[in-house]
Amino acid sequence: MLRFLLKLLACLIVGTALGLAATWVAVTRLNFGTVSNGPWRMSLLTGSAQSGPYLRANIALHGLLALNRSETVYYTADHDSAGEWLDGNCFYKIEGREPSARWWSITAYGEDDYLMKNKYDLWSISGETVQLKSDSTFTITASKHRAPTNWIPITQRRFSLTLRLYNPGVGVVDDPANAMVPVIKRSVCL
Amino acid sequence: MMRRAAFWIVATLAVAAVVHYFTLVRTPGFIMNKVMMRMGEVNHIHHQGRVTDKSRGVVRPSPDLLYSVCPFDLSQGALHVTGKVPKGTYWSVSIFDSDTNNFYVKNDRQAKGSVDLLVTTPTNDVRRPKGATEVISPTAKGLVLFRTLVNDEKDFAAIDAVRRTANCELIRSRAS
Repeated sequence: MLRFLLKLLACLIVGTALGLAATWVAVTRLNFGTVSNGPWRMSLLTGSAQSGPYLRANIALHGLLALNRSETVYYTADHDSAGEWLDGNCFYKIEGREPSARWWSITAYGEDDYLMKNKYDLWSISGETVQLKSDSTFTITASKHRAPTNWIPITQRRFSLTLRLYNPGVGVVDDPANAMVPVIKRSVCL
Repeated sequence: MMRRAAFWIVATLAVAAVVHYFTLVRTPGFIMNKVMMRMGEVNHIHHQGRVTDKSRGVVRPSPDLLYSVCPFDLSQGALHVTGKVPKGTYWSVSIFDSDTNNFYVKNDRQAKGSVDLLVTTPTNDVRRPKGATEVISPTAKGLVLFRTLVNDEKDFAAIDAVRRTANCELIRSRAS
């Protein structure tokens, strides 16, 4: 009898641990219901009731209170365009043209999904603050060390970026995987 | 012997599956509940300050937006949501149920100057204020979130003043 109870206890402990581990992996490591566009990922069903338990749990952890796709499209990147993890010791050039939306911004977040502390109180570049070149393209620098223009300070080793498109163009809503989004190029690492 | 081992392996996997499904399904509601408690008193508007690195209410906040939130509990009645819409900038009011689903959103272009909503459940017996649009919430608890973009820092005071006209007020059910 004692042997049976011990086996039952072991079954419950191991089963619970496996179940919790599976949930943790599912909501933190797997990308359910997402599409990729270069280094950027976006959830097709963010905010909608059809999003399913995996995507909903993922959004609750990493993008709670996000709006649905017709109102706002959120792209997130934790890798650069070459597929390497974003690294706070490197300089990144985020290059492109203004995306199709009424308003857009690129914001940097630390590993905990909150804004990183910096002495400049600067966390994002938007369509209102970006300095465009004469050919209407932009280059935003994300790095620990200051850049003269379009700079987003990075103060943690592991970070991610979110590209927000408020009132996105129809093309973005219909086909976010092929919409025009900036590239993220690593330059030098210190 | 083999049969017994197989039994315990299957039993362990069954426990794992149940725990996995339960925690997965409960995660959004658990997090939403925690966030609602952090926001403050239910059925009241809370105008938050500028988003900084110290803002820890909701993950991945936008530093370019001003947020006003109203956690709600419709078990006693319906929520009357009112407010003016700032001109010349992005603004939206969105409503989320307790499972984090965004079941209503209206932006400044659609709202045309002001918002007047009655957020209620099918069972609430509440007289709808004149002019208010009825919005049925799938769950009794949830959250109303106003987003206002500060598109120009020099207009901050004016934009902030208008977004602070947003209000949430419980209208008690006649049956309660």
